[in-house]
This record gives sequence, C-alpha cells and structure tokens, in this order.
Amino acid sequence: MKPHASSFLIRVPSAAWVILIMMIVFTAINPRYLTLDNIVNIVLQNAVLLILALGATVVILSEGIDLSLGSVLTLSGVTCAYVMESMMDSGSPNAVAMVAGVGVGLLTGALMGIITGALVSLGKLPSFIASLGMMGVGGALSLVLAKSTAIYIRNPLFSFFGERLDKSIDLPLMQYLSVPAFIAIVVFAVVWVMLYHTPFGRYIIAIGGNESGARLSGINTVYWKWMVYVVAAVLAAISGITLAARLEAADSIVGVGWEFDAIAATILGGTSFAKGKGGIAGTVLGVLVIGVLRNGLNVIGVQSLWQPALTGTIIILAIVFEIILSRWKEGRRWAWKN
Amino acid sequence: MGLEKLTVQRVAPSHEKSWVLGAARFIVLIIVCSIMAILTRSDEYGFVFLNVSNLLNIVRNASILIIIGVGQTITLTARDVDLSVGSVLSLTSVVAAIMLNRYEIAFPAAIFAALLIGAFLGLINGLLITYVGMPPFIATYGMLWVLFGFSYLILQGAVIYGFPAGFRVIGNGNLLGIPMPIIVMAVVFICGYFVLNHTTLGRRFFATGANIETARMSGIRVDRVIIAAYVISGFLAALAGLVLIAYTNGSEAKIGDSYLLPVLAVVVMGGTSLSGGQGNLLGTLAAALIMAVIHNGMNILAVPAIWQSLVVGLLIIGTVLADQWLRQRA
Repeated sequence: MKPHASSFLIRVPSAAWVILIMMIVFTAINPRYLTLDNIVNIVLQNAVLLILALGATVVILSEGIDLSLGSVLTLSGVTCAYVMESMMDSGSPNAVAMVAGVGVGLLTGALMGIITGALVSLGKLPSFIASLGMMGVGGALSLVLAKSTAIYIRNPLFSFFGERLDKSIDLPLMQYLSVPAFIAIVVFAVVWVMLYHTPFGRYIIAIGGNESGARLSGINTVYWKWMVYVVAAVLAAISGITLAARLEAADSIVGVGWEFDAIAATILGGTSFAKGKGGIAGTVLGVLVIGVLRNGLNVIGVQSLWQPALTGTIIILAIVFEIILSRWKEGRRWAWKN
Repeated sequence: MGLEKLTVQRVAPSHEKSWVLGAARFIVLIIVCSIMAILTRSDEYGFVFLNVSNLLNIVRNASILIIIGVGQTITLTARDVDLSVGSVLSLTSVVAAIMLNRYEIAFPAAIFAALLIGAFLGLINGLLITYVGMPPFIATYGMLWVLFGFSYLILQGAVIYGFPAGFRVIGNGNLLGIPMPIIVMAVVFICGYFVLNHTTLGRRFFATGANIETARMSGIRVDRVIIAAYVISGFLAALAGLVLIAYTNGSEAKIGDSYLLPVLAVVVMGGTSLSGGQGNLLGTLAAALIMAVIHNGMNILAVPAIWQSLVVGLLIIGTVLADQWLRQRA
C-alpha cells in the first residue's frame, strides 16, 4: 500500500517530534529551560543512560531483552568502589587503586554478561526470564557488598571521570564540556563500528531478523548471541562506573529501574522487536526524549513526588505514539489497531 | 510480535498430563518438607517445622503467592507474562488503605473499588498488548513502573497503619480453625481451576496461547481472550493485595515489589510454559508451597533477608533450565 505520509514526514523520526514538542512546552512554561547551561546539564545527566541504552539496543537488535542491565550497572559500580576503597585503605596510591577498581568493575560486568548470555544462548532460556533471574542475583550481591547503603569514593583521580572539565582545566568554555559526555561519544563510536563495520553487527542483525535463517546460512548463532549479552553487560558496567564517578559514591540500589529507561529509549528511538529494525542513532534520540523530559519536569518545578508517575506515563504514551505513527507511516489504514 | 516466530511446535494441552505433572511436583514438595524438617530439627524443640501452627503458617504465607500465581498462570496460558502484578498489588492495596484509613469508607465499598481498579489495570495491559501491539513484557514492564509511580504519589512516601476490624477478617480471621487467607486462596484456586480446565473460556485460553493464528482462524476473538486473561490477572493481584494488607494491617508503596520474581518462579516451576498454551494450575499450587517451605526454612535457619532474593533468583533460573532440559528430552 502507498504510504500516507509525505517523504519529509517519513524522514524525520517520530522521537524528534516528541523532543521538539516537549522543548516548546517546557520553554513556554519556564524560559530558563532553553539556556546553554541547561542543555549541557542534560547532556551530562544522560551520558550514563546513553551508554546503558546502547547495550539495550544491541540486545533488542538481536531480538532479545536484558532486564538485568540496571542491576549490572549497580553491581559493577559497587564492586569498583569496594575494591578502590579497600585498596586505598590499605595504602595503595590513588592511581593504582583506580585502575584496579575500574578493572574489577568491568570484569564484574563481563562476568554477569557471560552468565546471562550462556543462559540465553546455551541454555535456550527466554531472554527476559534469564535476565530477570540475573536481576535478582545482581541486586542481592550489590546489597550484600555495599551493606544495603552506599560506598563513598574519596579518590580525586576517579572523580575526574564524572566532572565537567572546568574543575580540572583552567581554560574558558571548559564548563561546557564534561568527561561523561566524552566517554559516551567514544563508546558510541566503538559500538557504531562494531555494529556496522564488523561481522558482529552483521551477524546479530541477521539473528534478530531471522534466527533460523541465520543459523542455516552458517552463522554460529549460539556464539554471537552469547556475545550480545556480554557486550551489553560490559556497556552497563561502563555506565555504572561513570555514574559512580559522577556521584562520587556507589549506591546499592542506584540502578533500580534504569533498564526500563534504557529499553524505553531504544524503543522510542525506533528499534523494534520486529526483524532487527532500527539502530543506535535512533537510540540517541530516544535517550534525549527521556533526558529532556526528566530535566524539563525539574526545571519547570514539578514536585519530585509526581515525577515517577508522570515520567512513566509520558514514556508509555510516547511509545504508543511511536508505534501508531510507524504503522501510519507504513500506510496502514487502521493505524490505531494492531 | 517478533518473538513468536522463534517458538517451536507446541503440544496440545491434556488434562491427564497435567495431573501427572502436578503429582510429580507434590512429591517434590514432600521431599523438600522432609529435608526442611530434618534441617530445622533441634534437640530442645524437636521437629519445629512440623508443628500444625507452622504448617498452617506456611500455607497462609503461600496464599498470596498462589492467588497472584493463578492469574499469572492464566495470562501465560493465553499469551505471555504479566510483569505488572506486583505493582498492581501495591497500587490497589494503597488505594484501599487510603479509602479505609483516611476517608473511612465502609469496607465492602473499598474492597469493591480496589478489585475494580485491579481489573481496570489488567484491561489497560490487555489493550496495550492487543490493540497497540506492544510486546507483552514491554507493556507490562512499563506498567510496573507507571503504577509504582502512582502508588508512591498517592501515599507520598508514608506508611498507613490500622484498618477496621471488619475488613481485617479477610486477613487474620479464622473459619473452623483455618486462617481466612487460606480459604480465600482455596476459593480462588478452585474457581481458577474450573475456569481454565472446564469452560469454553479456558479452552480459548489454551487455544490462543498455543497458536494465535490458528485460534483466530477457528473463530476465536483472540483479542478479547487475551484481554480477559489480563483482566483476571489484575483482579487477582488486587485481591491478593487486600488479603495481604488485611493480614499485616498496614500498606506502603513498595508492598508488592517483592512478589514479581517469586510469582514467575513459582508459575514456571509449576510447569506452565513461558511460550504459551500450557497452563498447569496444580503445578503452580505445588510450586508455591515449595517456595513457601523454602522461605520458612530459611527464616527458621535465620538466613538474612538479602540472601533470600539471591536464592529466589537462582531458583527461577535453575527451574527454567531444568524445565527446558526436560522438555528437550521428552
């Protein structure tokens, strides 16, 4: 059937419309919303979510889901802080403690990913049940390690990774640049190369499109599916460590619910569960939708009490909007009904 | 969507098999009970585990899980998971608590309203899945966070204590020496079993879950069937919430959070397939009792609460793995 929409409407992703509408509304309510400082703030706040959401996108492209990402984020932040603090207590220099902490944090993530991936690829468990189980395991381990509270990090070298640059470099304009944003850009570039210029990307998109077809054409689907969960968990570990650096603490429940934001950002960005559609460029937009929303609610002074209910509802409505709009773009007559 | 095309051939439901599978799980239950009885034996008190009061306590604790589990078994039979049950429980119990405690509304009205809200939330889940076409785990997982947000908003972080005695009967009353939660659970279980295995609606749940296209072509209005399953699940989650707050005499925004993982574990342990079309309520009953026995045992052995969620997480992974392995063998 011929699409209803004109080519212009089709080319602009629906997430961009959502962002535009929200920015207009927020600016109308509070003009301070549209200042450079606030926009830099949005970028800083959402760099961590972007790294996590890239992992969620990779998993969803392979037609799986990983609900354990939030708890991997928490757990790797906690192990990183735990190792760093105990090494500094025993007199190691800051740099050594930091390298060891970050290394252990990344290893924790990789290990969680290896287990989830093995359960999904070798064990043939539905991905949401395997990752839901790992969510319980990761959450419990974080609570045990951090003794149900937060581990504070007193390592100035490590804190650098969560700051704006004006704290370390005395040059003009440095307050507009932040290290988490750089980390997110580098991670984005790496994931981009992996997805679009290596066999990894081609294979997982093939698996997401048609798994038995991929297997029959000689792709080692078990191995590549396994790798998907390892990559996602390592990305979650990177975001957990960056978050710990930004907050200068690793809280034992900090990541609760983050996987929902990451998955929502992926779907809002146009990656769907059907046939490996979508990609990480859309995810950036999806993260911005959530980031602009969260930040906007703060700036226009919505009470924190209202925020979980409001953000959840708006995100769900935006997903519904995105699904209906994509059906309308395809030229479906009854776009409101599946 | 999407995920369905990965599913392999499904087996038609059979009553005979469901009896055998259920019986096998009751044997496991007896074994677990024996192990717990021996582990918790002490020279001073003997077999503390086997006291009638302790056993009744275990069944009462399992009641909440079984009531939610019946709903979850039905949605899994008809379509897919309902990840929002814990939050539905929280929200409805919070609303009931506010109505009873702050506005002093007569308790039958509060119960009615809470059940209605539960069913309505199930309706939203069903509509998101059928009409909008969201994958069920995305739709219900989204609802989980939305509903948590609303419970938090309504209670404003407070904890509500103290409900009228008439209301509390459904939680801590007794009938012929049997605690009320057990009686509510038994009624729910028998109704659920009857509906799932002996009515047209039940057959439709199985048919829709086994193969949605075939079901549609044979004239079943699959959308309505799926919505009905999620409405039942929401309704039962609300009922479980009422029993729970009547028993504990208090409610808070996170009261239902801890039920999601155990409920999924229990339903899957009970032999209900995650890919639809195979509901086994007897298995759910047995598995919930096993879970309650393990919890009770961990409490008697003084295992810290933090480790218990680890055990539940491992249990869910382990049982699904075993389930997959057995299915491949069969």
